[in-house]
This record gives sequence, structure tokens and C-alpha cells, in this order.
Amino acid sequence: MTPIKTLVRRTVPAMLLCLAAAPGPAQPPQAAPETGPGSAAAAPRLKPLPPPSLNFYGSPGLIDLPSAEMLPDGQYAVTYSWFAGISRYNMTFQALPWLSASFRYNGIQDLNLFGFSTYYDRGFDVRARLWRERGWLPEVTLGLQDFAGTGIYAAEYLVATKRFEAAALGWGRGPGRLKLTGGFGWGRLGSNGGIATTGGTRPGFVGGDTGGELATDQWFRGTVSPFAGFEWQPDERWSFKAEYSTDAYVTETRDSDVFEHKSAANFGVEYQRSERLRLGAYYLYGSEFGLTAQIQLNPKHPPTPMAVPAPHPVVPRSHWATEQAHWGRDWAASESRQRQIRDQAAEALKADGLVLEAITLEGTRAELRYRNPRYRSAGQAAGRAARALAQTLPPSVETFRLVPVHRGTGLAAVEIRRSDLEALEFSPDAPDALFAATGVSEAGPLPPEALFSAELYPAFATSVSPYTRPAYFDPDQPFRIDAGLDFAASYAPAPGWRIAGAIRQRLGGNVKNGRASNSVLPHVRTDQVEYAQFGTTLENLYVSRLWKPGRNLYARASAGLFESMYGGVSGEVLWKPVNSRLGLGVDLNYVVQRDFDQRFSFRDYRVLTGHASAYYELDRGYQLQVDAGRYLAGDYGGTFSLNREFDNGFLVGAFFTLTNVSAEDFGEGSFDKGFRFRIPVDWLLGKPSRSGFGLTIRPTQRDGGQKVVVPDRLYAPVRAAHRRSLEEQRARFWE
Amino acid sequence: MTLIRLTAALLASALLLGGCARGPEEKPGELEVLQAVGEQISRRRKPAPPAATLTRALLDQQPQNYIEVAIENRDAKAYLTRVLERRDSHPGTIEVWRTQDNVSLAFRQGMVIATRGLGGGLLSAEVPAAEGVGGPARGGARRYTLRADGNGQRVVNMACRLHDLGPETVEIVEITRSVRHLQEYCEGAGGVVVNDYWVDSRPGRALVWQSRQWAGAETGYVRIRHLQR
Repeated sequence: MTPIKTLVRRTVPAMLLCLAAAPGPAQPPQAAPETGPGSAAAAPRLKPLPPPSLNFYGSPGLIDLPSAEMLPDGQYAVTYSWFAGISRYNMTFQALPWLSASFRYNGIQDLNLFGFSTYYDRGFDVRARLWRERGWLPEVTLGLQDFAGTGIYAAEYLVATKRFEAAALGWGRGPGRLKLTGGFGWGRLGSNGGIATTGGTRPGFVGGDTGGELATDQWFRGTVSPFAGFEWQPDERWSFKAEYSTDAYVTETRDSDVFEHKSAANFGVEYQRSERLRLGAYYLYGSEFGLTAQIQLNPKHPPTPMAVPAPHPVVPRSHWATEQAHWGRDWAASESRQRQIRDQAAEALKADGLVLEAITLEGTRAELRYRNPRYRSAGQAAGRAARALAQTLPPSVETFRLVPVHRGTGLAAVEIRRSDLEALEFSPDAPDALFAATGVSEAGPLPPEALFSAELYPAFATSVSPYTRPAYFDPDQPFRIDAGLDFAASYAPAPGWRIAGAIRQRLGGNVKNGRASNSVLPHVRTDQVEYAQFGTTLENLYVSRLWKPGRNLYARASAGLFESMYGGVSGEVLWKPVNSRLGLGVDLNYVVQRDFDQRFSFRDYRVLTGHASAYYELDRGYQLQVDAGRYLAGDYGGTFSLNREFDNGFLVGAFFTLTNVSAEDFGEGSFDKGFRFRIPVDWLLGKPSRSGFGLTIRPTQRDGGQKVVVPDRLYAPVRAAHRRSLEEQRARFWE
Repeated sequence: MTLIRLTAALLASALLLGGCARGPEEKPGELEVLQAVGEQISRRRKPAPPAATLTRALLDQQPQNYIEVAIENRDAKAYLTRVLERRDSHPGTIEVWRTQDNVSLAFRQGMVIATRGLGGGLLSAEVPAAEGVGGPARGGARRYTLRADGNGQRVVNMACRLHDLGPETVEIVEITRSVRHLQEYCEGAGGVVVNDYWVDSRPGRALVWQSRQWAGAETGYVRIRHLQR
């Protein structure tokens, strides 16, 4: 809300300006006003204000203490903090406006406990806002820190934060801000200055167990201590922080000698270096100097806004088909004329990066089957395809049926009237108006009279590209990586068929120096180090076929070497109606483990693995997937995964798998879990692309609950072409 | 050290192989990023030649009319030619102007209603247009639909007052024009937008010779001049 005073201040000069204006030579181009009406600063903003600063645990907060603030929805933060040889790498994701989750990897140098000199550990935090700040009420948040696993940082807290306008130091535009924070902490945050005990004694921290289980027995138990602090932001860039910490660092200072805890007061200063980077320096516990680097980014606000070359405007047929004779349908009877039209349409599509696969031309209707190797947004691809048809087809064609095709299979049909295209391009609500007039339906079988592109099959494609393969969380070296080049080739002899392979040449890396497996299960995934001994490998070589066996059904069959560790045969069927949020699928694979050298030989381990899967599209881009079936080690169980995919393709998700393997047999971590990201290339570069960098991180890679990775899985491409995705992408149609 | 050497080797080989993807398949993401980095470097090395000074004599040699569009927040300037003039069911004539490097702007009676190819652009707009009137015909509601939140859209509703600031003259490349200065003062969506139009003051002419208009949060203000004789 704009305060009334500011409004008056802004409006009055503008009115004076109106009165003062008199005939005479204006001085354009004049300098743009820097503030006040007419300046860029006064115009509406769509980007949110600078987000809250983060603490040493990567959550909004002070220094070592949390505050009650939440990040903007969807925000993603990576922080590094260091003091006294204690380093923490934190990743925080604001999953919902009131809920955030963090993952942390930390190292404590010279702890000399639990059999390690430097102690590495992983942990998860979750925070939920109980209510927002309003009136005199502060914002209040409940947090569980390091709530699962071995819990070296285990703590629970209830914290309140209230923001005030405060003195500015003069060089900023707006007023300064003061944030007061106070709360109660348990566990680590109750280890200093306790005032009471709730729920009896808290079980102590035991280092070196397998972890992975929720530590419900200790939540909100034991001593509770009040903590407090403040952050003063004199302008947009600087902030000063002070806090009274209730973390006594018992393990680090009494059981070991990592640093000396002389005082509970911490002080710090932070500077917002750029929109995304914030740096801080601190003095902690009366004896130590500390640092943080905080990077925040929001999937909704890409580094470069997507710029696509402007399309050619639709020229209404009334401009160029001015005579009655132009509107005839005789052309449809001539095969050579049809072929000519197909080639013109293919040319127009090619200019926009689309590939004409087949076209069916009737007097008043046309069905275009096209491939989209350029645009992530199915809506944008449909828009460009519609424009290409409007540009090239004879005037008598009024209905366009646009069918995006993935590996020869039609995914959906978008039906648009050409006159709507002509009428709505410049209407005030062009994106919504056109989507309202668009029909989305099942692709249906390919019409028998379809004219295929003359130049498409057989198709041969090759690429040479760099690759990286990371390995995480080895206690000796937390991060290892291999990198090199992939030489890939594919051959499509006919629609739906594909033969593909890739040879991988490692140029360097250190994954091969990692830990050997200590798993008691069949080593279905933990022999990573053995596989990494070989530098020139056949990454994959397979044949696959995709087809549509019936209405709302999609099918795939593959055979060959699917990934570096497995080869075999695989089949999959997916049921996904175009207008439904629900999809159901079944996949069955008989696979054999490949030899460590990753050429054509196999090891003596074979398994039948497969799952029944249910997929559901929730609101806000959330996608739920539940799988049940048999995993690679022969274990039975289920996987639950929740992804949030932003409409620009940025994805953040988490998953866990529970199987009939006991926590003891599974080993460290007790069960399989992890999280994943995908950063789209188009999001990074601001120009259209369909590729992205995917990353799945597991706190520990074990053998229970593992799946085989088969190329050309069905759900993702099918979903992206269906109604919900098109609706989300409708704003892109005219672009 | 090994990591740096490795990255260098990767980068070098990939740049060497740049464009090493053939056939009707999607390009690997790593390749696209490396190519973008390569383009960025070569662009830094070879800055664009300075633009020729704009003179009336130069303009007179051109076979078609141009408009000059300057985007204030990125110090960019371009010359656009008209690719389409049409009407639809809403009042006013629509004109689409386009640069050679595929950026286009659409106007209704001289008011910006769409930008394409700029990134984070103006998807569509409702403007107070009327037949035969250059620039805004009245105050009242104005609606901008903007690209926002990734691939989504955000509607910005504003309430405008129209001020006639009276007759003025503007000089556009050696020619002085008599114009009326119209100013739209719009409030809404937590901000203020001021659009200025300098409209031909001869009777029966509705050409907006020059304007400064807001084209969305990302593009900001654009200045437009008609360079024709």
C-alpha cells in the first residue's frame, strides 16, 4: 500500500507540471525522471522486494538463530557459512508460502569424536509459519532443525518476528527497517540459559548411528531457553545484526575443543552485493570470526527474461484473398497442389524451429502433425504452428488441428479456428480469449490420407557434448566429479522407432578414488567406484518404439543397454486422458547388470523389476507420483515423490522409498530418499530450448529402493502436451 | 588445479566442436550453454559498429518509413519498419512495426498494445482508442497484460486521467512539427505510469509523431518517434 503522504507528494508535482506546461518548444528527448511520476521507479513492479536475509543454517534469521520470516514463494537459497572450522552448506526451498524445507551438509574440523577428525553430517530442517504479521501481531514460525538422521544440530523452536520502519542512514530511498526477533528453543537452542523443562529429559546426541529416522522422541523435550535478537537495515543493501544465542555448543566446546564459548552475544554486518548475492561477516561467541555467502534465486524470475524472436503477425485473409475465386476448395483435389502446400507449410514451420511430420489437408480443415525440438512451452509451439498454417494454407481452410508429435506419437490435438486467430491477435485479453476458444482433445490415429514430410524418415542425428557425473558425501571427500565428452547418435527409420547410442569418454575426474561398497544387499547401485575405473565406455545403445495402442493410451517397448549399469528389455504403458489430471502407468523391465567396463558384457545379476505408477497434477505446479512394485535389489515397496515444476520448466522435488529391506540391511540412512532439481537451459539463457540440467541428490547412495533408468519414459512428454500444461502456457501462445 | 585444467579442456573441446549437433533431435543442454558462452565472448570481442548519425538527407534516401524506438532502461535504440496495418473489432487502426533482428511493437492509434521479442514483454493491452483520434481519446480504465512469473501472465489494471497540455512543437530530425501534448496519468497496481503523446495538431490528422509510453515492468518506458517526412 502506498501511504497517503507519498501519494500526495507524488501527485502534487505532477499537477503542478500540468499547470506549468505552456505552448512552446518541448525539449524531447528529455532526460527521463529518476523518481516520481513517469519514472521507471514509480511504475508498477512485478518483482518482489528484496527477500529476508539468512542465518548460518540457511533459513531466514539472524546469525546463528532463526527468525519467523518466510522467503517469497518458490524461492531457492544456497548458503555457505563458516566459523571456527565449522562449515555448513545449506539449501533451502520455499515449497509453499508458509512452508520451507532445508537440506544441509556440514563439516566440523577437529571435532575428533565418533572416530572422525573432521566430522561430516547431513540434516534436514522444516519450518512452518503459524500466522502472518498483521496489526500488532508478529509473524510466528515453528521450526524443526535437523529433525531426522543423526541430529547433531537437532533443535526445535517457536519464534516471533516483528518489523518496524526505522531510522535510515540517508543514502537509501525508502525508510530503514528494524526487525525484532524473539523465541523459545529446545535441543541445541535450549542448551544455554534454560528457564524450564518440558516433557522430561531429552535423549542425548549419539554420533555415528545409521540415522534416517524421525527423531520424534526428542521433539520439544528437555530444557527450553528464550532467545532474542534484532536486524537493522538502514538501507536496501546493508544490515546490522545482533543476537543472544542459546546454543551452548556443548559437543564442540565441552566434549571436544573446536572453539571456546566465551559469550552468548553474536554480532554481524551483511551487504547485499547484487540482486542474488549477499555477504556477511560476524563475531561469534566472544571468540570467533565468521562468514556467510548467501545466494537466493527464484524460479519465477529468470536471470534473463525469455526473449523469442518476434513472430510474424497473422495477416487476415480479407487482406489478401479479395476475390471469390480465392476461396475455392478445388485445390484439395490436386495432389501436386497439396504437396506444394505441405512444402510451404514445412518451410514456414522450419523458420520457427518446428518440424512438419505430416499434414492432412481437406477443403476446410487441416491437421498438422509437428515435432517441437525448440520450445519448452507446448503453448508457444502451438502458437507458432498456427501462425505458420495461417500464413501458408489456402483461404478455404478454416479449422486447424494441431497435433504435437513425440517420437512419432501424437500427444494431443489443439483445435483452433483460423478466424479466431485473425480476430484475437490484438484484442485486449488475447491469451485468455484464444484459449477459451481453443479445443483440446485426444490426438487420435493418424488419418490415412496424411501427407508425410518427404525429408524426415529415415532420420539420422548426431551430437558431441560435454557431460559431468558427480558423486556426493563420501566422508573422505564430500564432493567428487567426473567430466568428459559424450558422442551420441540416433537413427529413426520410421515414425515411432528409434535406435540410439552414446559413447562416453572421460577426460578427468576423481570418482574412481571413492569408497568401496559395504552393502549387504546385492550391489545394484553402490559399485559406482568400480564402474568409474573405466574411461572409455558405451553409455547406452538401445532400440525403442513408441506408439498409441488406443484411446488415451501410450506405449513403449525398448531393448538394449539402457544406462551405464543395466541393460535388458523394458515395456511401459501409460493411460493419460488429455483433459485429466490423473495418469496411471505400468512398467516392467527384465534387466541384467552390466560389467564394470561398460561395453557389451554382463555380470551375473539379473532381476525382474517394475512398478505400477499413479501420477496426479495438483495446483501451483505440484506433481505427485506414487509407485509401487519391485526394485533392483529384488525388494518390494513403494516410492512417493512430489515435484514442483514451475511453468518455465524449473523443477524442485523430493522423494522417498520404503521397501521390505530393514533399516539395518539398508545401512546408513535407513531408507532411500533424496531430492532433485532441473534447471532449464532456456531459464538460464533467456532463449528457447528444451534441454535442462537435472540433478538428483541422495544423502546416501545405497542399494535398497533403486530403479533402473530407461530412456524415453512416457509420462513427462505426454503431460507437457496436455490441457493443464497448455493452460499454464497460454500466455505464450501469441509470443 | 586438475579441476581448472579439466574445465579448460572441456570448454576448449566443446567450443571447437561447437555446432556439433546435427539432425532433427534436441540439442544437449551442455552444448547449448557452451555455445551461448562462446557467442557472448565473441560479441564482447567485436562490439557493434557505431550507428550512423541520423540526418534528414539519409532518411530521404530510404525506400520506406521508419520509426525510432528507444528503450530507456537498457539504453537501446532501433529503427522499425511497418509490416502490417489492419483493423479488428475494437476501435482504432492497428500497426505492427518490426526491427531487422526480430523485435516488434504493435500500436493502436499510436498507443503501444504489444511488444514481441524483447523478453518479459507486453502481451496485450486495452487502450482508450477512438476512430480518428491520435493517442488516448479519454481517461478511465487501462489494462496491461504482462509476461510475469516465468511463463505466466499478470494483469495490471490502472485508472488514468487524460490531460491536454496544449499546443507544442517538436523537432524530429530537422523537421519541426506542430503538435498537441497529451498526457495520461495512470495509477494502480502499486505504481504510477505517465504516458506522453505529441499528436499532429492539424485537423483531420491523427498521427502520434512522438511519444513516451510504458510498455510493462520489464521493458519500462519506450520513446517512439515517427521519422517520415
